[in-house]
Amino acid sequence: MISIDNVSKHYGSFQVLADCTTQVSKGEVIVVCGPSGSGKSTLIKCVNGLEPFQKGEITVNGVSVGDPKTNLSKLRSHVGMVFQNFELFPHMSIIDNLRIAQLKVLGRGMDEATEKGFKLLDRVGLRVQAEKYPGQLSGGQQQRVAIARALAMDPICMLFDEPTSALDPEMVNEVLDVMTELAKEGMTMMCVTHEMGFARRVANRVIFMDQGRIVEDDSKDAFFEHARSERAQQFLAKILHH
Amino acid sequence: MYELYEFDWSSIPGALPFLWQGMVVSLEITFVAVVFGIVWGTALAIMRLSSVTPLSWFAAGYVNLFRSVPLVMVLLWFFLIIPHLLESLLGFPRGTDMRLGSAIAGFALFEAAYYSEIIRAGIQSVPKGQMAAANALGMNYRQAMQRVVLPQAFRNMVPLLLTQGIILFQDTSLVYVSALADFFGAAYKVGDRDGRLVEMLLFAGAVYFVICFAASQWVRHFQKKLKTA
Ligand SMILES: Nc1ncnc2c1ncn2[C@@H]1O[C@H](COP(=O)(O)OP(=O)(O)OP(=O)(O)O)[C@@H](O)[C@H]1O
Ligand SMILES: [Mg+2]
Repeated sequence: MISIDNVSKHYGSFQVLADCTTQVSKGEVIVVCGPSGSGKSTLIKCVNGLEPFQKGEITVNGVSVGDPKTNLSKLRSHVGMVFQNFELFPHMSIIDNLRIAQLKVLGRGMDEATEKGFKLLDRVGLRVQAEKYPGQLSGGQQQRVAIARALAMDPICMLFDEPTSALDPEMVNEVLDVMTELAKEGMTMMCVTHEMGFARRVANRVIFMDQGRIVEDDSKDAFFEHARSERAQQFLAKILHH
Repeated sequence: MYELYEFDWSSIPGALPFLWQGMVVSLEITFVAVVFGIVWGTALAIMRLSSVTPLSWFAAGYVNLFRSVPLVMVLLWFFLIIPHLLESLLGFPRGTDMRLGSAIAGFALFEAAYYSEIIRAGIQSVPKGQMAAANALGMNYRQAMQRVVLPQAFRNMVPLLLTQGIILFQDTSLVYVSALADFFGAAYKVGDRDGRLVEMLLFAGAVYFVICFAASQWVRHFQKKLKTA
């Protein structure tokens, strides 16, 4: 589904990504973790072309992201993305947030978009909030809306960039629950997160990054039981005793 | 000993219809210049922020040029040059009165430079993540700007844009250089004719003050409402 092949990226002389290679198969859930500044966000944003990269190739469902001939908007319209800061559109009601891209990008009709929007709000338990504005919702609710907004596009895979790290602790689980359910339904997911409980329960594989490199790329069990690199061991020790 | 100046306001009531015509001209210039200035200013702001270098250089050059010359001069250029241009290029009949048209064009092009700076700041005040989120949903640049970034930018900018409009309204008095009878020009003409220039100009000043002060109070009120909304 997603194939990342030898991808490198630099800002001037600063290397953000160095020869990153990995694959995500259909239905797989990958957790990406690593210390701050290791390039996790950059890597995941390369997958839908929000960040350009200088070397290597990424394909999503066989379509090359780096190819200038690729219609990036079209590719992005079926790759869902969820951001750390939700990034709901504050000037639109919740239901409009769910409708806008369906109408303007997919060309769906108003009725279809509305119906789909309500169905997804139901699914994340927020139907009653449909007419409110993002500012009136809690962080956890906003993030659930953001997930619903991405799902409204019928994505073939979902990218998550630290979806719970801006949330108060008591709201983390409501978001993780939605993600867990999504994973159970077979959604292909690439999640940058430090929620190791989520990784243990849901992930198929864990990728550990450090200084722009993919240092570990292992099955979940292998990663948690015997991470090979010292950096990953240190990282795990720190985060698990947190 | 000099005599105390004796005020005589009696010529004002009779001049009101003429003054009103002048006010209509002032408001007309203000309105068209604000609308056109915002539209052209938005285009300039988008060019300035664009990654296409010739576009951003053009916009930067335009803005810096108009912000570095006095408005009166720009207006004079337009009075002197535009009519000739239109006559020779488009075959307008000689002597067509184009003072109002060239005043509006001069104001609009000049104000667009100021508006574009306000709008550029407004666009930059919208968090980068909003554009990214719109793009991630498959919106292209134009859709993201139109549906997501600009509506938020304008919402933040409304008070500044209105304030700039009030300044523009005051600046319309500069069209007196073309002998166009805007409100100020009309007041000057009547006062001069009746030998009551002082009274007329005091009256005109009071009218400008009342309008602009009321408008800016309204903007402040509006701003407060926006903040609490
Ligand atoms: N526009 C930029 N210009 C220069 N350096 C940048 C830019 N964007 C990111 N970087 C750098 O690239 C590195 C990787 O950033 P990235 O956001 O991918 O890290 P991250 O692993 O997601 O970290 P975090 O856990 O803090 O989110 C960081 O060192 C960052 O400072
Ligand atoms: Mg990050």
